[in-house]
Amino acid sequence: MGIALIAGAGMAGRACALTLRRVGWDGEIVLVGDEVTHPYDRPPLSKSVIVGTADMDKVVKPAPETYAQDRIDLRLGTRVEAVDAAARTAALSDGTSVAWDAFVLATGCAPRQLPIPGLERAHRITRMDEALALQALLAQGPQRLAIIGGGFIGMEAATAAVAHGHTATVLEAAPEPMARPLGREVAAHVLRWAQARGVDVRAGVAVESVAEAGVVLAGGEEVPADIVIAAVGQAPRLELAEALGCEIADGGVRVDAGLCTSVEGVWAIGDIAAFPSPWADEERIRVEHAAVAIGHGQVAAERIALGEGLYEDLPTFWSDQGDLTLNVVGVPRPDDEIVWRGDTETPACTAFYVRDGRMRAAMSVGDMKTLRGVRKLFAAGVEPPPAVLADPDTDLAALAAAG
Amino acid sequence: MAQVSIGSLGDFADGELTRVEADGTALCVVRVGDRVHAICDDCPHAEASLSEGDFLADDMAVECPLHGSAFNVETGEPDCPPATEAVRVYPVTVEGDDVLVDV
Repeated sequence: MGIALIAGAGMAGRACALTLRRVGWDGEIVLVGDEVTHPYDRPPLSKSVIVGTADMDKVVKPAPETYAQDRIDLRLGTRVEAVDAAARTAALSDGTSVAWDAFVLATGCAPRQLPIPGLERAHRITRMDEALALQALLAQGPQRLAIIGGGFIGMEAATAAVAHGHTATVLEAAPEPMARPLGREVAAHVLRWAQARGVDVRAGVAVESVAEAGVVLAGGEEVPADIVIAAVGQAPRLELAEALGCEIADGGVRVDAGLCTSVEGVWAIGDIAAFPSPWADEERIRVEHAAVAIGHGQVAAERIALGEGLYEDLPTFWSDQGDLTLNVVGVPRPDDEIVWRGDTETPACTAFYVRDGRMRAAMSVGDMKTLRGVRKLFAAGVEPPPAVLADPDTDLAALAAAG
Repeated sequence: MAQVSIGSLGDFADGELTRVEADGTALCVVRVGDRVHAICDDCPHAEASLSEGDFLADDMAVECPLHGSAFNVETGEPDCPPATEAVRVYPVTVEGDDVLVDV
């Protein structure tokens, strides 16, 4: 047994710690997180937390006393400052040192810094304290928001704010927000749905600076705002992995299907892990979404405690945008051919991502039956031709069951 | 645990989800033939009311209306991500026509 040290108390690190105890690891568990809030679900930050509708007992979970009950040594407001791979020790910012037998890197991402003058004036929504600060401002009454960045976080914040009586202008450098994760064709529909719900989206614009009264665009136009939010993306925190000598690949820490890095006794999970997936053509993928983070944490814990377990889940993520929820399963690529099923106006539809004639992913909105059918098709390994997928009269779950 | 009556069998249509408050606990209740199942109405994954989802009779599971994880009404376990935690299952007994839940 010995000591399992987990650097990072986000969703991956939390899942790893809780699972370690559940699968019978009897050694020490040290869970180190740099935030002062107890571990929480991050997805609500850009949605229900900022607009104040979140039930915090369901966001900050499990209950704080769980860690003591499970004998998890939770160090909040603490960072791993330095590591010694040969001696297998880590120095923490609280002045203590941990001699680890298993080291799990769950360091997540850091918000991207862009060279935009005045960007430090903008709010971020990457941490609980930041989301609560924004919540306090939005609670003062209707605000004009300017949101720099039209990725999932920016669009979620915009749709949530508009649904609660604020106005929101999203400023996006690319021609369509979310084109990189969803492809241009699907992204164009998502953009249209957000616009129909009252979000003002300015795509293809460059931000010059953030000023007292709002955001200044290239060319001098000013977008007035009471509150500016920067949702300009993030980058994996790789410093500890590099210090340990872990191989870096595909923008992350290279791991095997058991989430083990190139250094024995060191695992990498969540946002930072570049992992092999049976669902992707690429040798390795990196996914910055909650379900993958939790799955990684669970598998790494099984590996550490039991010496078995592989992460082979179908990647899945979702984005709640106001009253719409986008559910994505599989690994979409921006250049995939798109085949639609259902009504894109309501919307109650599914976009299938087709590559080499095969369905590789799907984005579903307002269409739970098709989403379930898609999951069953993936699980059964059944690949109906695109024309069959597109036909709203075909029962996908039945096709999956028939094999 | 307190046994609370949540109505009569006839109050619940077969295979339809109903939200019921029992002793301050929100339940998602479904009748299947002469049996009644009750699970916690809050999706353990995100902020959703499970009774606004669908009952999948083939799987004996309640599908979350937001993200599609389906929770087995007997075990509470989800069948697929994004949910990873089981939902709490509450024992139900039917005495005569009376539906009683242990909450």
